[in-house]
Amino acid sequence: MAKTNTAHAPLTPAVLHILLALSTGERHGYGIMKQVQADSQGKTKMGPGTLYGSMGRMMEVGLIRQSDKRIDSEMDDERRIYYELTGEGRAALEAELKRYRDVVAIAEGRFAYGR
Amino acid sequence: MAANDRGPRYLTWYAFLLRLYPQSFRGRFGEGMAQTFHDLCRERTVAGRGLFRFALWIFFETSVGIVMENFAQMSQLGKTMLRVALSALAVLIVPLVASQVVAGWNWGAGGFVVAYVLIFLTGMAYAVIAKRMGSFSYKVGVGVALMAGFALGWSNMVQVADSGHPENLAYYCVLAVGAVGALLARLRARGLALTLFVMAATLAVVAIILPSGAPPDIARRMAIGHGVCVVLFLASGLLFRHASLARSN
Repeated sequence: MAKTNTAHAPLTPAVLHILLALSTGERHGYGIMKQVQADSQGKTKMGPGTLYGSMGRMMEVGLIRQSDKRIDSEMDDERRIYYELTGEGRAALEAELKRYRDVVAIAEGRFAYGR
Repeated sequence: MAANDRGPRYLTWYAFLLRLYPQSFRGRFGEGMAQTFHDLCRERTVAGRGLFRFALWIFFETSVGIVMENFAQMSQLGKTMLRVALSALAVLIVPLVASQVVAGWNWGAGGFVVAYVLIFLTGMAYAVIAKRMGSFSYKVGVGVALMAGFALGWSNMVQVADSGHPENLAYYCVLAVGAVGALLARLRARGLALTLFVMAATLAVVAIILPSGAPPDIARRMAIGHGVCVVLFLASGLLFRHASLARSN
C-alpha cells in the first residue's frame, strides 16, 4: 500500500482546481481556465490574474512546471505555453483529495449514528 | 459587430495593464496572460456576447493580481534586505573583535560604517543578481566575482588611505570595467564570462604597469593579492561560461 504524504498543507480552491485541471494532461492557460470552468460546472470563475498568480506560486513550490511551447491545432496557429503537473503536484493533489474523503467519511459517520 | 471592433483596443489596453506587473512576473507570464485574454475575448465574440462588461471584470481582476504581486515582491525584497543587513552585521563582528584583540588594528567609527555599507551592498548585489538564475554555476560565479571585487576595492581603499598614493585608485578601473560589462551583458552568463576575463586582464595589466610605491615586503604581498584576485576573476569567468554553455545545451 502506498504511503500517503501528509506533509502537504491544505490547498486554496484556485490551486486545487488548477491541479485537477492538469491531472489529466498538460494544458495552456486558456485550456486550464476552460477545464476549471467545466470541473466546477461554471461555479468557479477564474480570470488571468488569479490563474497566473496562482500558477506562479505553484511553480515556485514545484507543484507544476512549464512543459512546452507549441501550437494548439484545435485553436489557431499561435504557439502557446503548456503547463504540467510535477510529481510533487500530483502528491499534493492526492493528499488534498484524501483530506476531503476523510472529512466526508467523518460527516457520514456522524449522520449515520446520530450526533 | 461593435464588440468585434472593440476587441483589438481591449487587447492593447490589456497589454498596457500587464506592464504594471513586476518585471520578473511579466517576463514569465505576460505573453501567456495576453494570449489567454485574447482567447477569452474571441470565445465571447464568436458566441455573440458583448465584451465591455467582461473586459471590465478582467481588467479589475488583473489589477487586483498586479497589486498582490507587487506587494509580494516588495515584501520579499524587504525580507532579503533584512537578512543581508543582519548578515553584514554578523560579518562586522570579526573586525570589531579584532580591533580589541589585535595590536595596531584601530578602526575608527567611520571605518566600521564604510565596511558595513560595502558588505551590505555586496550582499544585496549577490541576492538580487543570483536570484535571476537557477543555475548553480551562475550563482557561484556571482559570489566569486563579488568576493574578488570586494577584496580588490577594500584593499585598495585601505592602501590609498595608508600609503597616500592616490595613483592606486587606478585599480578601481577594474571594478568600473566589471560594472559596465555587467550592464552591457544585461547580467547574461555569456556576457558576464567575457566581462570577468576582461577584468582579470585589466587587473593584471594595471598591477604590472603601475608602481605600487610601497616598501618591497608590502609590494610582494600586494602582488600575491593581485594574483589571487586575477585567479578569482578567471574562475568566476569560467563558471559563467559553464552556466552559459549549460543553458544553450
